[in-house]
Amino acid sequence: MSCTVRIASPLHSYTAGASRLEGRGGTLAEVLGDLERRFPGIRFRMIDEQDRIRPHMRLFVNSQQARDLTAPVHGGDTVHVICALSGG
Amino acid sequence: MTLSASERARYQRHLSLAEIGAAGQEKLKSARVLIVGAGGLGSPAALYLAAAGCGTLGLVDFDRVEVSNLQRQVLFDTGALGQPKAEAGRARLAALNPEIRVVAHALELRAANVRAVLADYDLAIDGSDRLSTRYLVNDACVLLGRPLISAAIHRFEGQLMTYVPGRGPCYRCLFPQAADGVVANCAEAGVLGVLPGVLGTLQATEAIKLITGVGTPLAGRLLTYDALELRFQEFRVERRRDCAVCGDAPTITAPCDPQAPPRAPQDGVRRLTPRALHALLVPPGGAAPPLVDVRERWEYDTGHLRNAVNIPLGELPQRIAEIPRVSAPVFICRSGGRSMHACTLALAAGVASPANLEGGMLAWAADVDPAMPVA
Repeated sequence: MSCTVRIASPLHSYTAGASRLEGRGGTLAEVLGDLERRFPGIRFRMIDEQDRIRPHMRLFVNSQQARDLTAPVHGGDTVHVICALSGG
Repeated sequence: MTLSASERARYQRHLSLAEIGAAGQEKLKSARVLIVGAGGLGSPAALYLAAAGCGTLGLVDFDRVEVSNLQRQVLFDTGALGQPKAEAGRARLAALNPEIRVVAHALELRAANVRAVLADYDLAIDGSDRLSTRYLVNDACVLLGRPLISAAIHRFEGQLMTYVPGRGPCYRCLFPQAADGVVANCAEAGVLGVLPGVLGTLQATEAIKLITGVGTPLAGRLLTYDALELRFQEFRVERRRDCAVCGDAPTITAPCDPQAPPRAPQDGVRRLTPRALHALLVPPGGAAPPLVDVRERWEYDTGHLRNAVNIPLGELPQRIAEIPRVSAPVFICRSGGRSMHACTLALAAGVASPANLEGGMLAWAADVDPAMPVA
């Protein structure tokens, strides 16, 4: 199942500067696993050792916030990776 | 609070708007808005609120105007270089609109003073450049029941959310916890100069709406802005019942200063002060540890320790094999946050006994080498 993943700019160094990627998977866990295979290390910036979304990162499927990695992702969905920004 | 003849002339375009009119303008005249951070966001927010006739504006900032600020902080001109931002901003706003009162707060907001400062204002605009200040201001606003219009920027990207007491989530509901250093700020990552112009102006817009009661505030919604794609997006955010400050059983009942840097997140990460690292590096020719500078290339190019190799944090997972596993390397960044993250990654990859330079190159410049340029 193919979806679009939009990556917050603090993580662009993992994706060679790309802000929009194609992801595959039927759940957030699968989509992030797919990203990790292609961009090693990126998942750890979003997810901790207990598989929890880090508290300064938020994941949305379309406009709905995902509370955990079991959130379903359907074909054509967009997964948004949002990071707390500190700049002012 | 009625309008004078000169005020009616000045605000005529507002008076012509049925949604604002004299009643709305009088509300603006009575309003007291605190702007935290006279930087990229605070500049346009302050200028527009002053021009709009917001009766009392407070400017909180303890920095001085630096030349690198002028690319985006339009509250200041070249003649203000070196002046305290709060004071220079107050003078600029007073010149723009002598009908209003501007209060300069040239101080650092802390747990000890945030309540007293905020108590004199009806709402706050957060344009600070530190996550710790963002949480401090959020918590104080929740505890004092003040609306908060919070925005943040990074490179080409911005975020905005409005907290209205009793009507939606607070900043901590969105991001329960974050630490400075994990996320690069403008100085570390760079920022498109016009980007805070967009977000700061939106903050002023939200303030005017809340004060006058027109429109729908951005409560319970996170707005993001991507300048490169010229794309705005909106996400629903709900109040968390387990939020530490606005939840059903809050654990934060008074503003608190950020805690001291946490202990190493995993056993095996050593912490080195700048002086301790300096002692390891001299005399030359000794068994100095490898130095890995995980800042971005341009930061490294501005100034780095001799023999330090540059592997930006984002490239570290792919390049971890470049670091010998038994070398006990020292990881370095600007202030110690990214390098601690690098230590964690190195440990996970099997690198033995990584060390973190506490306080990063900023601390090195302060404690060891004042001539070291730090971007």
